[in-house]
Formats: sequence, C-alpha cells, structure tokens
Amino acid sequence: MIKTMIKAATFGLVGVLISLPAMAGQEMKVGVKGMVCSFCAQGIEKKFRSQDEVADIQVSLEKKFVMLKFKDGKTLSEAKITQLLKDAGYEANFSAGESAKP
Amino acid sequence: MVLRRFTALLFGALVVVGFGARSEAHPVPYKGAWGLMSFNSSDMTEVSLVHSFTSQLAVATTYLKSSDSEFYIPRLNWLAKRWNNEDSQANIYLSGGIGSEVFKNENQTVRMAGLGMDWESRRYYVLFDQMYLHRDNRRNLAIPNESYGYMKFRVGTAPFLAEYDELNVWLILQAERYVGRGSGSGLGGEEVELTQILRFYVRNTLWEIGTRLNGGWVFNYMVHF
Repeated sequence: MIKTMIKAATFGLVGVLISLPAMAGQEMKVGVKGMVCSFCAQGIEKKFRSQDEVADIQVSLEKKFVMLKFKDGKTLSEAKITQLLKDAGYEANFSAGESAKP
Repeated sequence: MVLRRFTALLFGALVVVGFGARSEAHPVPYKGAWGLMSFNSSDMTEVSLVHSFTSQLAVATTYLKSSDSEFYIPRLNWLAKRWNNEDSQANIYLSGGIGSEVFKNENQTVRMAGLGMDWESRRYYVLFDQMYLHRDNRRNLAIPNESYGYMKFRVGTAPFLAEYDELNVWLILQAERYVGRGSGSGLGGEEVELTQILRFYVRNTLWEIGTRLNGGWVFNYMVHF
C-alpha cells in the first residue's frame, strides 16, 4: 500500500515537472526578410509588443530574426505573425527561424 | 479613348502622388506610426510630420523654408514597391501633394511630385531622390510661373555593424543638384553640391551632421514613434 502511494506520488511529481515548461510560456523564433536597420527593428518590436499574447520580444539584426516569448497558454498563429510583419513592412521567413516549443 | 483615359490616370497619379521633398529616409513608416523629420542646412530648413495608414501609404505635412520662399505642403507618400531580401531591402517611393508657397509676400499654389529609390543592407546604402516643384502664378501674374527640380544621390557605408539598441554609425557622401530655379527662390543654383555626412542612430532616433565641400553645413533629425 505504502509502496503504491510512493509510486503514485513519484509519477505525480514527474508529471508536474514535465508540464512546468509548458506553463512557462512558449517561445518562437521567426526569420525576418528585409530587416536591416534599427528603424525596421523598432517598428517590428512595437507591432508585436502591442499584442496581448506576447510577453517579450528580442530582435537580432545580425541573425535576422525575432524571438517571441508568449504569455502562459497563449500564442500567435503563423498567419497573424505574417500579418504583423507585413504591417511593419517586412516578410516572415518561417523556414529561417526555429519554433522552440516546450 | 484608351489614350485619353491613360493620360487622365497619369495626370491623376501625378497630382495625388506628387511631391517627395527632400525627406529621404523612410517616408512611409510602419502601419500606425508617426514620424518627425527635420532636414536643415546653412541655406534651408525643412520639417515634416508623417503618419502611416498602412505599411505602404502615409500622409504628411511639410514646411520648407529657403532664403526667400516658404512652402507648406500637405502630401501623400506611397511605398510603390519594396523588395525584402535576406540581407537587404530596396524601395521605390512616390510622393506628392499640393500646397502653398509664400514668395515675395504673396501666397501661390505649388504642386510637387517626387520619386525616391533606395537600396540598403546593414553595411551599404544607396539612395536616389528626384523632386519636381511647380509654382502656379494664376493669382498673381507678376510672380514668375517657375518650375524647379531637385536631385539627390547618396552612398553610405557602416564602418562597423551594431545591433538595433546600440549606436549605429554611417559615413555618407551626398551629391545634390538644383535645376531650373536658382535665382528666384533661393534654393540654390544648378551646381552640384557635395556633402560629407556622419549618421548616428539608436533604436528609433536618427541624427545626421555634415559639411559641404564648398562650405556650409547640414543637420538632420528623424524619429519614429
């Protein structure tokens, strides 16, 4: 009986630990075509920061991507990301980025 | 009939898409953005406020003052084409409008049309700007009915690459030429003016300082918000 309880508790703990990263919020790296200057990057950053789903964004001119960090349980579709980049004047390049799903 | 329609369309496009002034950098910011630009030299001052409705269309108003003319010009800026490449970006802008010119204490209507093209990577930058301005003297025939052109060519390079929240520095050589209206407006003669420019920017703010090889200075400022 005690053995069974310990087993169940262990599995429960492992389950909680496994599910922790998912609760921490998803990240997505998206390549951006045409992003060559600070003005480009600033516009892109502002567009994404205005979205409720986005907790943080990091932009790299050198590596030509944006790293999106979403709020817990939230995300943006590829279509929405494409539209936001288009509103900023640029093009999404999903093949250049890598989706970092937990 | 087709030719007439085409001519009307072309004329309409020229009226709507007229003027490009001297504002070279990012005349159409991102959708919903505002931009404030000021281009100043020893003989001219220009201030423009721009607002983008879409990523391709912006409305702007420009105040331009030379030694004996003042212009107030509401206008549209249109990003006609952008190429977003892996490591570079190229643009064609058309912009224009109809406004007023205060010349010899008289208010005159002025039409403007312009074309801008640029190509930019993180390391290199090339720009061509052409502006055409026409004063309509129907209100006072004593004022000359003049046309005026302005052409600008720039090449630039960044001596080092920086991230967007760091200080970016560019070295730029600029050639300008004023055509057809040197004497009346104070906008310069037909000679080519060469200017060496240092450009600095961090995030959404840009400054440029320069000196003309034949004397004079330039100071430009731009912010997007």
